[in-house]
Amino acid sequence: MFVRGARAVALSIAALAIAAPAAAQWKPTKPVDLIVHTGPGGGSDLLARAMVTMIEKEKLVPVRINVINKPGGNGAVAAAALVEKKGDANTIGLITSVWIAGPLTSSEAKVTVHDLKPIAQLMLEPAVFVVRADSPYKTLKDFIEAAKARPGALKQSGGSVTSRDNIIRLSLQHATGAKWAFVSFQGGGERLAALLGGHVDIMVIEPQEAGEQVRAGKLRVLTQLTEKRLAGWPDVPTLKEAGYDVALTPQIRAVVAPPEQPADASMYWENTFDKLRKTESWKKYVHDNQLEESFADGATLKKTMVDIEKQLKDAYTQAGIKTVR
Amino acid sequence: MDIVSGLLHGFQVALTANNLMMCVVGVVLGTVIGVLPGLGPPATIAMLLPLTMKLEPTGAMIMLAGIYYGAKYGGSTTSILLNVPGESSSVVTCIDGYAMARKGRAGPALGMAAIASFIAGTFGVVALMLVAPPLARLSLAFSAPEYFALMVLGLAMVVLLSGESLTKALLAMFLGLWIASMGTDIFSATSRFTFGQVELMGGIDFVIVAIGVFAIGEVLGNMEPTKAPDMLPVPKGLRNLMPTWEDMRKCRFAFVNGSVVGFLIGILPGAGSTIASFMSYGIEKAVSKHPEEFGHGAIEGVAAPEGANNAETGGALVPLLTLGIPGSGTTAILLAALILWGFKPGPLFIQDSPELFWGLVASMYIGNVLLLILNLPLVAVFAQLLKLPAYMMYPLILGVSIVGVYTSANSMFQLALLCGFGLLGYLMRKLDYPTAPLVLGLVLGDLMEKALRQSLMMSQGSISILFRPIPSVLLVVAALLLIVPLFKKFNAARLQVIDREA
Repeated sequence: MFVRGARAVALSIAALAIAAPAAAQWKPTKPVDLIVHTGPGGGSDLLARAMVTMIEKEKLVPVRINVINKPGGNGAVAAAALVEKKGDANTIGLITSVWIAGPLTSSEAKVTVHDLKPIAQLMLEPAVFVVRADSPYKTLKDFIEAAKARPGALKQSGGSVTSRDNIIRLSLQHATGAKWAFVSFQGGGERLAALLGGHVDIMVIEPQEAGEQVRAGKLRVLTQLTEKRLAGWPDVPTLKEAGYDVALTPQIRAVVAPPEQPADASMYWENTFDKLRKTESWKKYVHDNQLEESFADGATLKKTMVDIEKQLKDAYTQAGIKTVR
Repeated sequence: MDIVSGLLHGFQVALTANNLMMCVVGVVLGTVIGVLPGLGPPATIAMLLPLTMKLEPTGAMIMLAGIYYGAKYGGSTTSILLNVPGESSSVVTCIDGYAMARKGRAGPALGMAAIASFIAGTFGVVALMLVAPPLARLSLAFSAPEYFALMVLGLAMVVLLSGESLTKALLAMFLGLWIASMGTDIFSATSRFTFGQVELMGGIDFVIVAIGVFAIGEVLGNMEPTKAPDMLPVPKGLRNLMPTWEDMRKCRFAFVNGSVVGFLIGILPGAGSTIASFMSYGIEKAVSKHPEEFGHGAIEGVAAPEGANNAETGGALVPLLTLGIPGSGTTAILLAALILWGFKPGPLFIQDSPELFWGLVASMYIGNVLLLILNLPLVAVFAQLLKLPAYMMYPLILGVSIVGVYTSANSMFQLALLCGFGLLGYLMRKLDYPTAPLVLGLVLGDLMEKALRQSLMMSQGSISILFRPIPSVLLVVAALLLIVPLFKKFNAARLQVIDREA
C-alpha cells in the first residue's frame, strides 16, 4: 500500500515536472481560429479584427489568427461551433453577454456559458441614458416622475426585449413604480433616428455613439449606467448618484475556449490577453471607443458569467419574459 | 466651406496620385465582389479594415466607399447572365435581365445596367453634395408608421409582379411573408417556426431564398427536357452588345425614376437598396405604356432597379455623414472605420473634417466614371459566358450559387436550405407560380411587421397613428394599386356581358 502510494506520488511529481515547463512552453504552432457570433462588420467581428491587428502588431502570438464568423441564433451557432471543437487548443471564441442571455429564452440554444471554458474578461461596455437636447427632462428623476404621472405614455427605443436596455428599464420600473413603453428596433441606427426624430423620449446608448451628438447639441446625457464615472463624462452622475440604486447587469466582452481545452493552452491564452491589455495599442483602442477597461482572469470570469446569468433570469422572470432554463 | 470651393478642394484631394490609385483599387475590387454572389461589401470591407489602419484615412475611405458603390455595378452581371443575384440589391434585376439574356440581348442588358448605374450613381453623389443636411433632417420625420405604409405600398406592388394569375402571385407572396416571420422575435424573445433548429433562430436570409428559387430552380427546370436545350444566342460585334438609341430612349424615365427613388429610399435609415430596387421596378412597370413586356425582357426593368441601387449609395451616406447614423450594414462598418481612424462621425463631421467629406464626394464622381469605363468593355467579355454549352453552364450556375451561399453563411445547414428552396423554385415554375412575389414578401414582410408593432407600441395600441399625413398618402396609393386592376377586370367582364346581350 505504502509502496503503491509512494509510487503514485512519485509519478504525479514526475507528471508535474513535465507539465510545469510545458505550461509555460505551450505555443500554438498552427493557425488559430477566433470564433465570433456576428457576421463581418458586426460589433464582435470588428473587435475581433481589431484585436488580431493589435496582437500581430505587438507580436504576441507566433501564428496567424483567423476570425471565423458563425452568425445566427444570437450567439447560439457560434457557441455550438466552439463545443464541436472540444479539447482543441487552437480555437478560442469572443463572447458578449448575449451568449448568456440567448440560452435563457431560446430552447434551441443548447450551449450555455457553463459548457465553455472561460479564458479572460476583456472589458465592459458602458452605456448612458440620453434624451433629446430640447427635451424637458434634465435629469433621470424628471423623466421618471413624468413617467409616473402618465403611465405608459413615454417611450424608450432599444433593441430586443432581452437586451441590457430593457433590463435596466425593468429594474427602474420595479424600483420606482413608474411605467414607460419599450419599443424594439433591430439596428442601432434606427434606435438613434427614432430618438433624434422625436418619436421616442429616451434611449440607452453607448458613450462613444452619444459623444458627437452631445457635442453637436442634439442629445443630452442624463445618467451613466456604470459603477463609477467614465473619464469622458466627469460631470454626469452615475445611476447610483442619481438616486437609483438598482443592480447594473454588466455588458461584458470576454474570451472563452472550447470545453476541455488543455490547461496549458488555456493558460497561454489567458496570459496572451493579459499581455495584450497592457499594450499601448489596446489602451488607445479602449479610450477611443470609450469602453471600460476591466480585465479578469478565467476563474473570475466564470463567476461573473454565472452572476450575469442569474441577474438576467431574475429580470426576465419578473418582467414575464418566458425563460426555458 | 461653400459647395464650389469645397468641391474644388475635394478634387484636389481626390486627384492626388495616391488617392486616385485608392479609388481605382476600390472600384475594381467592388466590381469583382459584386460579380461574386454571396461575397458582399460588408464582408469585404470588414476584412480589409485592419489593413486600412496602415493607410492614410482619406485614401482608405475613398477605397472602402469605392468597394461599396462598385459592388452595385457588378451585382447585375450574374443576375442577367445566370439568374443568380450577385448582390441582394440585384435580385429584382434577374426578372427582366435574365429574360433579356434568354432572348439574346444579354449585351444590351449588361450595358444598360452599367449606364443606368452611372447616371443614377452620379445623381446620388450630386444630391449628397447639394441637399444632404436638410434631407437628413427630413429623414428623421420618417418613423415606424411611415415605414409601415412604405412596406405596404411595396407589397401592393405584387400586383405588378404577378403573371397571369393574381391569386397565384398572392399565394407566393404570403409564402414569402410566412418565411419572413421565422426566427427569434425581438419584441417578445420567442422563437417562431424554428423547428428546434439553432440555425433558424436568426430567420432565413433572403439571398439564399432568391438564389434557390431563381438560379437553382431555373437550372432544374432547364435540365428536364430530354433534348439538349439550345444555347443562348450571343450576337457578334460590339454594336449588338450595347444598348441601342431606342433602348436609351425607352429608359429615359427609368433613369429619373431609379435616381430619385433610390436616393430617397437610401436616406431612410430603415429601408435599404433591395427595397429601393423593388420600388423603382414597381413604379417603372406601373407607369409603363407596355407593362405586358415586363418579365419578358423589358430593358426598363433592368435600368430602373440598377439605377436605384446605385443612387441608394449616395442616399445612404447622407445620414452617415451628416448625422452619424448608419442605415445599413455597410454604412455601419464605414462608421466603425471612421472611428478607428480617429474621426468623429456625427452631426459636426462635415464641418470638422471637410477634407475627408469633399475628397470622398469628388472621388465618387471619379469612381463612377471609372466604373463606367471599366464595366462597358467587360460586357463583351461576360457575354461570352453564354456561349458555354449547357453541360458546362448548369454546373457553373450550381457551383457559383453554392459557393456564394457558403461564403456568406459559412454553414452546411444554409446549403441544405438552398437546395430546399431550389426545389421549391422548380415546383413553382412547374405549377406556373411567379417567384418574384415570394422574394418580395420575404424582403418586406419582416420590416413591415416590425414597423407595425413599433407604431402600435408608440401609440399605446391606437391605430390612428397610421393615419398621419405621410403614411395616409402611401396607404391610399397602395390601395389604388390593388383596386385598379380589379376594377379593370370588372369592367372587362361588364363589357363582355354587354357584348353578349347585344
